[in-house]
Amino acid sequence: MRFERNALLATLLITALLPLVIRDQYLLHVAIMVLFYAVLATSLNLIVGYVGEFSLGHTAFLGTGAYAAALLSTKLGWPMWATIPAAGLLAAFMGLLIGSITLRLQGPFFVIVTLSFAEVLRLVADNWVAFTNGPMGIAGVPQPSWLAQAGNLATRQFYFYLAWGVLAISLYLAYRFVYSSAGRAAVAVRENRYVAQSVGIRPFRYAMLAFVLGALLAGMAGGFYAHYISFVGPEVFRFAFMVSMIIMVLIGGKGTLVGPLLGALLVTFLEEYLREAKELRLSLFGLAVMGIVLFLPRGLMGFLATRREVRPTAAPPVAVAIAPRRQGV
Amino acid sequence: MDVLPQFLVNGLVIGSFYALSALGLTLILGLMRVVNFAHGELYMLGGVMGWWVTNALGLDFLTGLALVALVMGVFGWLVDRVLIERIRSQGEEPGILLTIGLSIFLANTALLVFGTAPLKVEGPVSSGPVFFGPIVVTKIRLFAVAVCAVLILAAYLLIQKTRLGRAMRATFQDPMAAQLAGIKTANIYACTFALGTIIASMAGMLLGSIYSAQVSIGGLVSMKAFVVVILGGMGSFAGAVVGGLLLGIAESLWGGYVATGWVDIIGFAIVILTLVFRPYGLFSRRAERA
Repeated sequence: MRFERNALLATLLITALLPLVIRDQYLLHVAIMVLFYAVLATSLNLIVGYVGEFSLGHTAFLGTGAYAAALLSTKLGWPMWATIPAAGLLAAFMGLLIGSITLRLQGPFFVIVTLSFAEVLRLVADNWVAFTNGPMGIAGVPQPSWLAQAGNLATRQFYFYLAWGVLAISLYLAYRFVYSSAGRAAVAVRENRYVAQSVGIRPFRYAMLAFVLGALLAGMAGGFYAHYISFVGPEVFRFAFMVSMIIMVLIGGKGTLVGPLLGALLVTFLEEYLREAKELRLSLFGLAVMGIVLFLPRGLMGFLATRREVRPTAAPPVAVAIAPRRQGV
Repeated sequence: MDVLPQFLVNGLVIGSFYALSALGLTLILGLMRVVNFAHGELYMLGGVMGWWVTNALGLDFLTGLALVALVMGVFGWLVDRVLIERIRSQGEEPGILLTIGLSIFLANTALLVFGTAPLKVEGPVSSGPVFFGPIVVTKIRLFAVAVCAVLILAAYLLIQKTRLGRAMRATFQDPMAAQLAGIKTANIYACTFALGTIIASMAGMLLGSIYSAQVSIGGLVSMKAFVVVILGGMGSFAGAVVGGLLLGIAESLWGGYVATGWVDIIGFAIVILTLVFRPYGLFSRRAERA
């Protein structure tokens, strides 16, 4: 608990200082994407890691948030500070709606029905041309007017701090949830549903809480995405986003708060680095997913935790082994 | 109203294709408890290989089909022995992730090798029309429906009547007891997965001769197959067939009378409604398995 809190605070502090060092626009863009994905991975982790059910429909909330922000600002002229929270709230509402159906199911049923919901939303975005402008998407999502004179670097810096703010809020909410009694109840359900029920925990309620919170965070990330990219099309619902999120959560280690951040950092840089390899990149991603499942089932954080657990028992023989050698010298 | 019979026939034809596409998935799900997200990619590989053997090797359709089935059977067997066996006892989630990884890998590697162009599998019969009163069906579709029926029947007989099929069912019912009775369960699991792969790839090649084989089709096929399987009930043979036909008819009627752009949504609507009201499918005796 203390380790996670300190690690999260340190991460936030260090990232807050980054723009003072980085002057390169491209690097800043990558950093912004890392923060964006960190929010998404954190939100997915609440469902995958703490409810213990595998959601493939998380793009539903990302997309809802992105479309909500884009439509609110282009059609109604809402300013950015209002659209991003509104996007989160709308996505949370969507989470309530979808969760009330999907969370009654478990295992493969849950996976498929969440995926179905994301697909339904994608089809709606694709076909309801009057509202969402169909496959053309919504272009020109307005940015704050003062950014126009501020120059490119300042714009990037502004968005960096905006993303940082969203991430800070997300981590705070996730932290408060995970270490509250509700979060512990959710973990109890994840570990053993029947035991949890027998001590008076209602699985559905806590799963729902985590689900809605995850949706809220993903929606805010979507709202941010809409303003930053200033274009929203049906591809926000596409499976590739989902795949990135899954890999981040898994590679970092689900069920930990630091893991998804680590995953977001690694995967975003890997994606940028492999950009030259283009299509091969996705093939490698597929191999990476299989490799993680087979060899690193608990992710990097799980791996580190295992190492730490093993070390105390392994340490004494090492000390003994070293000591005689010193005598010999 | 006079187009209704045509819509129904179209629906039945497409529905039988759906049934065959879903059969491999329901087998693997019902007998192995593995949610195979790479199912659509196995289908796609069947289509692409079908294109290759009929065009590059110049084989005729049925020989090509047999060759594809053989190669994909070996491939499925290897996938199970090398990948799925390692996570067999760890519940559903690793299986889901592993097959998602596999599907990403297969789809994108195929994309690298074959590109995005549709690949036409050489069909065994011409695509000329056949008239039944007011209803038109192409010859090749009739042929495909016949092959679908034969394949589904063959798979059914294999599971119900042969020694291998009995071993499969025994392994599903109780792996431990099956092992004690002298069944090599690891081998049976691999055979089941290979069988599912074979059916998926044959469906891919067969339908590749009607539409065309496309590298990017996998995701859509997986989704439709899931719809059918959930509608019919997991692991149920009859469920897959009836579910496929129902989906085909529903889509055909919806496309004909309401709006073609929204056809795909109907499958997902069906999934959501089925899972809410009848989570074990229309054939909802929980005990019934393939």
